Amino acid sequence: MKSFTYVIKDSAGIHARPAGLLSKLAKEFSSEILVEKDKKNVNATRLMMLMGLGIKCGDTVTVTVSGEDEDAALDRIQAFFRENL
Amino acid sequence: MKDKAFGVLQRVGRSFMLPIALLPVAGLLLGIGSSFTNPTTIETYRLTGLIYEGGLLYTILDIMSKTGSVVFDNLPLLFAMGVAIGMAKREKEVAALSGAIAYLIMNASISTLIASHGGVESMAPNSTTTALGITTLQMGVFGGIIVGLGVAALHNRFYKIKLPQVLSFFGGTRFVPIISSLVYLLVGVLMYFVWPIVQGWIASLGNLVLESGYFGTWIYGVIERALIPFGLHHVFYMPFWQTELGGAMVIDGTLVQGAQNIYFAQLASKGTEQFAVSATRFMSGKFPFMIFGLPAAAYAMYRASRPEKRKVVGSLLLSAAITSILTGITEPLEFTFLFVAPIMYAVHCILAGLSFMLMHILNVGVGMTFSGGLIDLTLFGILQGNAKTNWIWIVIVGLGYALIYYLVFYFMITKLNLKTPGREADDEETKLYTRKDVDARKEDRKQGDNVSRLIVSGLGGKDNISDIDCCATRLRITVRDESLVNDALLKESGASGVIHKGKGVQVVYGPHVSVIRSTLEDFLDSPESERTTANHVSEAPRNKEDKKKLSPCTLFAHLTGSVIALSDVKDEAFSAKILGEGVAIVPDEGVLVSPGDGRVEKVFDTKHALNIVTDEGCEILLHIGIDTVKLDGRFFEVHVRDGDKIHKGDKLVTFDIDGIKKAGFDVTTPMVVCNSEDYRQINVTASGKVSAGQKILDIE
Repeated sequence: MKSFTYVIKDSAGIHARPAGLLSKLAKEFSSEILVEKDKKNVNATRLMMLMGLGIKCGDTVTVTVSGEDEDAALDRIQAFFRENL
Repeated sequence: MKDKAFGVLQRVGRSFMLPIALLPVAGLLLGIGSSFTNPTTIETYRLTGLIYEGGLLYTILDIMSKTGSVVFDNLPLLFAMGVAIGMAKREKEVAALSGAIAYLIMNASISTLIASHGGVESMAPNSTTTALGITTLQMGVFGGIIVGLGVAALHNRFYKIKLPQVLSFFGGTRFVPIISSLVYLLVGVLMYFVWPIVQGWIASLGNLVLESGYFGTWIYGVIERALIPFGLHHVFYMPFWQTELGGAMVIDGTLVQGAQNIYFAQLASKGTEQFAVSATRFMSGKFPFMIFGLPAAAYAMYRASRPEKRKVVGSLLLSAAITSILTGITEPLEFTFLFVAPIMYAVHCILAGLSFMLMHILNVGVGMTFSGGLIDLTLFGILQGNAKTNWIWIVIVGLGYALIYYLVFYFMITKLNLKTPGREADDEETKLYTRKDVDARKEDRKQGDNVSRLIVSGLGGKDNISDIDCCATRLRITVRDESLVNDALLKESGASGVIHKGKGVQVVYGPHVSVIRSTLEDFLDSPESERTTANHVSEAPRNKEDKKKLSPCTLFAHLTGSVIALSDVKDEAFSAKILGEGVAIVPDEGVLVSPGDGRVEKVFDTKHALNIVTDEGCEILLHIGIDTVKLDGRFFEVHVRDGDKIHKGDKLVTFDIDGIKKAGFDVTTPMVVCNSEDYRQINVTASGKVSAGQKILDIE
């Protein structure tokens, strides 16, 4: 299990577009990828749940990856956050 | 690390089998043909009446000799191609072409440098040769192997390369011959400067041999064997066979220099009572290990192979052994273990050296045309009589050698678990996917795989694909059932168009298609592709609990306005269906209503979008306008809260169309099924003008 914490910098937060991209990315991996905000955990592949977190600019999120390809998944997802959020 | 290197060696060894399989046949042709066209042989056995230049028998034998030797002469090329094929992961035919080209380029590069530095005359004797008409350095099979390995490495690294759009025609597999040519141009230059230095060292070893008596003969034998894989043996033994380094002798009044020349002069002379061992010590040692030792080693490899593999392995080893016995051409046999078990080759070299030394000590005087097989033993040993040659010792020592080779090889193979033919860990051909394979593949795949997955889905699943090819811009596929092809999915994968011709489907991607094809073929080889079927569900194959199909439902227009396809929405997140399948409406009125019965999951803080879940479990995103997240709530008034129960037609949000437009935004409002992968298909059932509440999506 691996995780990282990220503070959202994009002014619009995780709205529809980034949520869609993130959930699409998450589906590429076999590991379970959880996004947590304010103690609420959602599976990153569940687009609607992801949007449902209502993550805004300045929010702190924790992403937890666990499974066989967790290293690769963590790298890619971390890069995704840095580039898009 | 050690395991990895070992694995690579094993692959190299396996990649050798293709060219090696040809060698026994070529060896027999060459051995028989050349023995009986040798003028001295013909004369000695008074066959001049039967075999003479221009005669039928001579011509036939000559053809045998020449066709056999053309294989051996071009062995480096065969290895350049064969190793490239064996080591390339995919698109092997491209690797083969690149190997051939790189080999030509390398030699042309060397050739030009030789010519510009004074030509062949200025090079050391026996250090040059002609390869496919190009004068080049004598590098033997080694030259081919460095080409094959290097090209395969370049191939595996670059065959999927993406070049900038203007150059994209040269991308993918087309890039491999190009880069191989450039690299081997430089390798050729490097070899021109490096290889003669190596050749110089080898030639100077000759003096050591001469100064050390019986021990020198042993050194000669060891070195001669050890140099074979590098093609350096010619530089080494030819001086002994053909120059004064191998001795000088006056025979019938003429001075003859070189071991082989002396032997043949004595053979032709009527006054010979015994063949000069000082000359034959550079030859006779080959007989015991070629006729007896190596075939016994082949038997050891056969016995050590797994029972289920013996049939296949047996035919390879048997033909190689027969070639060695009859003609003394040992490469087919030696190459079967040289690369998979170098230590066995080392032992073989030492034993070979001993054989030369024993023959020297025992005064065996049997010469040869070019190698030590049964044909040469008969002609130049047995038929000459034991008094002249002491050939009987070859048989006696040979029998001992057979036993030693068998025991040593069998012991080494089984104790060190060497992967000689038929003992490989697992056969690649059987395509059993081990955990490691799968992991390796998973690491490999990037987003390209999603494209592949879409393509496979769009083509109706893996089972529906019978054949894949590509031209400059199109993927050309033959499918089994054309009705399963889904154009929408194919377009989603990035295609700009799909053309149907019966069972032929052409998907137009553009010049980077060869990269798409390679990735797709990789994907089809992976176990994952098995799960990718016509429906799009397999997008998330691992979410087992999600995989169960949800019950079908119907959604109703969320606005009054004009229906447009999701793919026409001017926002990639929607048009590329990153968020899911659905439909969009360009609204005439700013009233968003519920498309069905369910519950409000989440109203975005910026009010421009909301998520609802229908009673059937369909997860819907309603998104008013494009990029309207930037309006930060302006122009929107929300009438529901998170968790509210809602019914079809309930007012959700009212918004100011004109205000949004004036602020510079597009008011097109997509309705997207976020969990599209839970459904088999989602069809838009309305077009043109619709009123809110009219049927618009059929979901099943």
